[in-house]
Amino acid sequence: MKIALAIASSIVLIIHGIVFYSQSSHGWMQHQEAYIAEAQNKATNDAERNELASRRPRLEQIIATQFGEPRVDRCVSCHVAVDDPRFVGHAQPLRAHPYSKELGDSYENGRWERRHKFTDFGCTVCHDGQGRGLDSFYAHGEDRYWPEPLIGYVAQAEWNEKYRQPLRGKDYMEANCAQCHASGDSVSMPHLERGRRLFFEKNCYGCHRIDDLSEGALGPDLSEVGKKWKLDYLWESLVDPRANTPVSFMPKFNLRDDEVKSLVIFLKSRRGTNPAQTSLQRYRARAGRSAAAGQAPVLQADLPEDPVARGEVLVRDRACAACHKLGNQDGGIAPDLSFEGLMKDTQWISDHFRDPRRLVPDSIMPSFRFSEPEFDAMTLYLTSLRTPPALGDSAEIYRTLCARCHGANGDGTGPVALYLDPAPRDLTKAGFMNSKDPARFVRSILDGVPGTAMPGWKGVLGQEQAQAVLDYVWSSFVREPRRDAKKRSVPETNPVVSTAESIARGKQIFVQRCTGCHGLKADGKGPNSIDILPRPRNLRNGPFINATDDRRLLESILYGVQGTAMPPWIDYGLTANDAGDLLNFIRSFQTRR
Amino acid sequence: MERLIQLPRLVWDSIFRHPLPETDLGRATTSFNNFFLHLHPVKVHRNTLRPAYTLGLGLISLFLFIMLVVSGVLLMFYYVPSTAQAYDRMLDLRGTVAFGTFLRNMHRWAAHGMVALVFFHMCRVFFTGAYKAPREFNWVIGVGLFLLTLLASFTGYLLPWDQLAFWAITVGTSIAGYAPVVGQDVRFLLLGDHAVGQEALLRFYVLHVVVLPVVITLLVTIHFWRIRKDGGLSRPEEPEPTATTLPVGTRYGLMGFVRGPLTKSGNVPDNAVFSWPNLLIAELFVFVLTVAGVLAVSLLFNAPLEEPVNVMHPPNPAKAPWYFLGLQEMVSYSAFWGGVGIPTLEVLLLLLIPYLDRRTEGVGRWFAKERLLANSLFLLFSVINIILIAIGTFFRGPNWTFVTPW
Repeated sequence: MKIALAIASSIVLIIHGIVFYSQSSHGWMQHQEAYIAEAQNKATNDAERNELASRRPRLEQIIATQFGEPRVDRCVSCHVAVDDPRFVGHAQPLRAHPYSKELGDSYENGRWERRHKFTDFGCTVCHDGQGRGLDSFYAHGEDRYWPEPLIGYVAQAEWNEKYRQPLRGKDYMEANCAQCHASGDSVSMPHLERGRRLFFEKNCYGCHRIDDLSEGALGPDLSEVGKKWKLDYLWESLVDPRANTPVSFMPKFNLRDDEVKSLVIFLKSRRGTNPAQTSLQRYRARAGRSAAAGQAPVLQADLPEDPVARGEVLVRDRACAACHKLGNQDGGIAPDLSFEGLMKDTQWISDHFRDPRRLVPDSIMPSFRFSEPEFDAMTLYLTSLRTPPALGDSAEIYRTLCARCHGANGDGTGPVALYLDPAPRDLTKAGFMNSKDPARFVRSILDGVPGTAMPGWKGVLGQEQAQAVLDYVWSSFVREPRRDAKKRSVPETNPVVSTAESIARGKQIFVQRCTGCHGLKADGKGPNSIDILPRPRNLRNGPFINATDDRRLLESILYGVQGTAMPPWIDYGLTANDAGDLLNFIRSFQTRR
Repeated sequence: MERLIQLPRLVWDSIFRHPLPETDLGRATTSFNNFFLHLHPVKVHRNTLRPAYTLGLGLISLFLFIMLVVSGVLLMFYYVPSTAQAYDRMLDLRGTVAFGTFLRNMHRWAAHGMVALVFFHMCRVFFTGAYKAPREFNWVIGVGLFLLTLLASFTGYLLPWDQLAFWAITVGTSIAGYAPVVGQDVRFLLLGDHAVGQEALLRFYVLHVVVLPVVITLLVTIHFWRIRKDGGLSRPEEPEPTATTLPVGTRYGLMGFVRGPLTKSGNVPDNAVFSWPNLLIAELFVFVLTVAGVLAVSLLFNAPLEEPVNVMHPPNPAKAPWYFLGLQEMVSYSAFWGGVGIPTLEVLLLLLIPYLDRRTEGVGRWFAKERLLANSLFLLFSVINIILIAIGTFFRGPNWTFVTPW
């Protein structure tokens, strides 16, 4: 007992010793002592030397009150020589902050005068980092919980190794310059300005809203994105949108590293309010804006008179090619528009512009906010694109027209397939290909499939060419002899009259049998849907359901869809009348509107 | 001159009335003539001093509470219960205040430790059947102290005003909101608002630094007082001491009529020993051990301080403090039953245990055979709660999906 007591007591004493010792010596004290010693060497006269000799290390801090919440910056406790011109180029932490004309510093009478005086601005307003911290781990923001690490210099431990390197460098500080300096100020912020331009050129504005800049509503509001996320998250979200949000449908834009960098700097600068503005200035700015609100920003000021030419300028300016292919520009995300005039009529293009999801319910194309004349001009321009693509044999036709969605191997994984919903058909699935009448495939090729991204190709392909492409698909991808579809007894039209009772019965069957895959809302997002390829059909897709005849839907219900997860329900006891009830239920979504 | 030499002696004697005791009489008078020592009985039963019986758990809880009060008062000198300043004060504690980090570590870890130790103490009392008559009500007070400890820890959780604090309290208080009829009102009363904000911070601060410590101190005092009035700690029944019958015709003093287990007249052989020094050295040992433990943990691990509060950016998953994660886990199955129904039943059951289980066999022994059913039930109850807490703490990831921590 006594020995144990003695051991425990000595542990208490030892820990006290350690704690007291660690309190008595700080890194910043040593840095200050080193500074005092070196400054004495550099001193030119005795008075200065004596003053330094009597100086003892003490906590130094700057309290900056002009930028929002008061900032307490104790950085100068270690970086004690920041304003001492004799220490320019000295090793850190005793290096003097560089003097530079770019930052607005002026050189007069042999002395530099700073534009941003440390006593007014502090340090963290430009550099970020944690001003209150006194050891470098906390002060520089290496602590993973600190939201604003020393910008461009410190990468926190959990940052993805891949993005660490490009996130270094002082360019990122432009994001902080922009907190006070509006663009168009005399201050040059080349990366930031480029990022702002890219925000429009890459069509980010179509989906994202930023106060005063854009009105997109499909993606998250980015007005305060810089306050919310660190650099690494912004970078990762740009180059791999699904890394952090697995359900994101933001396209992977094909950006170069320097473009990503500019965008990250621009996004990091979006932090809501400008701390240098007073609330009155903010109010005035807002009041002045309301007049111009809702107007999509025009990149090119003067538009030509001719509507088609104006449409062309708008289409190119508003960066349709950030996603679509248009001539030699290709965003690699959305369908080819190069000969859109041959594919779609004016009405379709015009309707689709105004509300893409009315025609293709699961399209990711944003509804852009253009004025009516602008919509008309752009429609006219797209209608005018009537140069047919150069086509050769059936293989080349497939490569030119089909591979963008269905993929070079026909497996439905073309470069833009990821962004299409419903996904392009996997043409290698022999089960599916053999279960349908070849005439139906030719019809799909020529007339398209409404409610999906599959367009009708009859503007560019004749009957024989369509047949040839089908043959090509069969010989190259299906690679199984064509079998004649089995004769099935399916009623030509719905055997059950659509009544409230029939719909109610259909709903009951639907809830029991179908919701696992098609979901309670019948939108194809049931709990099992994530494991199923191709994905279950969205049965609320009006254009598709309306354009598909009773026979085909009844057949799919009763005999299943081969090559997909849809089973033949006739094997599970569903009668033609049950299928009729289901069909009435599914069709009731459309009539109910 | 001689007088001057005597001065230190005089001062010492004026403070301590007695020299270190040499005789039994001296040991007894020392105990009840000293303000601190008179809380103790003059003599304690040998069983009370067996470390394997109590494990010192109640005492450790008390010492942790005292350390919490001391470190808490020191922290109060630096803390401001304002949403604008609280987090900055945390940064200052970490950066500039002498011993700031260490102080905060001690307070944090002692608080977590107290929650755990009070629970273990309750388990000890149950498994030794110590809540049986005449100690029923002291068990009830103990359960009250356990709940107050949870509440004190919970209110303190918000004070750093970082993301961890903000979202833990948001989750914790919304569990309270699941109670039928009064739930939302209770939540509003607790938060002073519909969401965690300045009002909630102020309320939690006042509860944490004034109300709860005072109530806990009061209840602890009663808890100790009743230990003595209930005849000391529980112990196994022992054969009746063979008392020598006093000769008839003797006149008894008043004490002779006082009923109670330790009141004896005549020279009865018993198993009691003097508190001084036996009990006191044991207490000192537990104290030093507790201090050493807290200091060592505080030296090795820093108290967490996450991002400043961002109301728009909840962490995924947002978790309550660990001792409420069992509740949160149950809430993920059923909001009412997990958050309100089952916990209320559990607390009611805990409070009623001594009145339901009244057999007096097997008191004073760990896991007595006679109490197999009761002990098994309580063990099951504890293990289920611990497992739920472990699942909530380690096995729940984003969107409260099941993840493995490795």
